[in-house]
Amino acid sequence: MSIPSEWDLTGKKAIITADRRGWTPFLASALAEAGASVAVAGSDGSDMSDAVDAVTSQGGTAIAVATDLTDRVSVEAMVFRAEDELGGVDILVNNASAEFGKRFEHVTENEWSMLMDFNVKSMYLTCQAVGRRMLKQRSGRIVNIGTALSQRGLWNSVAACAAQGAIHQITTSLALEWGREGIRVNGIGAGWMSTSEPSEEDQRELLVRYLPSRRKGHPNDLASLLVYLSSDACGFVTGQTFFIDGGALAHA
Amino acid sequence: MLSEKLSLEGKGVVITGGGTGLGREMTLAMARAGADIVIAARRTGPIEEVAEEARALGRKAVAISADVTDTAQVKSLMDSAIDELGKVDVLLNNAGIVRGQGAIPIWEITDDDWQVGIDVNMSSAFYCARAIAKHMVERGGGKIINVSSGFGYRGGRDNYMYCVGKGGIVNLTRVLATSLGRYGITSTCIVPGFIPTEGTDESRLTLPRGEFIPVGRVGHPYEMGAVAVFLASGASDYMNGESFIIDGGGLAGGAAPTGHAPEIPLVI
Repeated sequence: MSIPSEWDLTGKKAIITADRRGWTPFLASALAEAGASVAVAGSDGSDMSDAVDAVTSQGGTAIAVATDLTDRVSVEAMVFRAEDELGGVDILVNNASAEFGKRFEHVTENEWSMLMDFNVKSMYLTCQAVGRRMLKQRSGRIVNIGTALSQRGLWNSVAACAAQGAIHQITTSLALEWGREGIRVNGIGAGWMSTSEPSEEDQRELLVRYLPSRRKGHPNDLASLLVYLSSDACGFVTGQTFFIDGGALAHA
Repeated sequence: MLSEKLSLEGKGVVITGGGTGLGREMTLAMARAGADIVIAARRTGPIEEVAEEARALGRKAVAISADVTDTAQVKSLMDSAIDELGKVDVLLNNAGIVRGQGAIPIWEITDDDWQVGIDVNMSSAFYCARAIAKHMVERGGGKIINVSSGFGYRGGRDNYMYCVGKGGIVNLTRVLATSLGRYGITSTCIVPGFIPTEGTDESRLTLPRGEFIPVGRVGHPYEMGAVAVFLASGASDYMNGESFIIDGGGLAGGAAPTGHAPEIPLVI
């Protein structure tokens, strides 16, 4: 991907949170390719080290910061370290989300709390810890990665959809609150995603045939928009979530 | 009292496309709730029949043949309605065509197809609202109820004029609400999902009935009646610019095929 100059992130410092979905290497690489140095924050079981490898193998700068994203002390320490090692923080990408599908009557209180903690509370913690620094420097970009399930219900997905709705509204509200301080808060709503190359077998899947795009999305489909939303070019855009869903939300 | 709030006793209502399908059901429901009604449509047969049924309920009901895509006819319809009823409290813009609107590839749609489809499904509501708005302003209030469709919110494959027109209806409602609210006129929009009637394309009826709808069934025309009565009555006086969606849950879903139910263990 060649980077238009307005979207250039050279010299910017980014934090991106990691999870088990495997999107982080692609998203972190896009930030690095645009010129940012990247701190990847996540658990040991996440795609954190894959993301760091992906960035460094293309000549970029990335560090891994093992973090419990649901714990305030751990998140504060992560932001402190990222700031220290990279020399500041300009961009926060809240990418980490856990997937969960289960009939609602069987969802346990523990599962509900774990999901809300990892998908929603983590975002509160990172936004607050990074945001305080952004408020001080009166500039910053926050990108929350959600899904189209903030807009639609889905079977077996009450908890997942509730968490997505919360993520959507964090973006909307936080953009208002910090708008005067030079901080832009936007979201990307992903559709049905896959990190593997589409095969002929995939094409037979009912879900794939249902999509106007006739294919699932790949994290690289989100990358260009992520770079834009992280850049200085994104100065008048805030509080918006952009859906990259292959037309799923347009579908009747 | 709720029953008093929901009563349409003494109200004058104009409904377009009121002779058949959902329009017929809404007309009769409003008549049962006490409304006097002018029923307009192009074909006189069906509206005469519905008017007769409404009169049998003890209401004043008048059938007026009118093409609501013709602004001169719309004006004389509204003038006649004011004459017949003495006033118009409620305009229900229900006219529209589903039949013959779907499954046309974009390159086969003629200028005429497009214009007719947009006229019937969208412009007619604007024409009728325009023709009655002054009367409502002078009376100090009124209600304009538009009828959109789930296809006003979502794209339907090869279904241009209907989807575009119905989408326009949703926003027409918001513009009317914003512009006329200060005169005591509220505007709302009914958004039905799949509710087959005698006018529904037979090709659509071959679909497994209700399989793609969260509640597992299609809608019954009579279910539209209660919504029309609510929106025409004083019970909805603070509702303005908003849609009332009656679709068995269709618009709540749609991000995946119906019933797509992922089972994913939670691993943090």
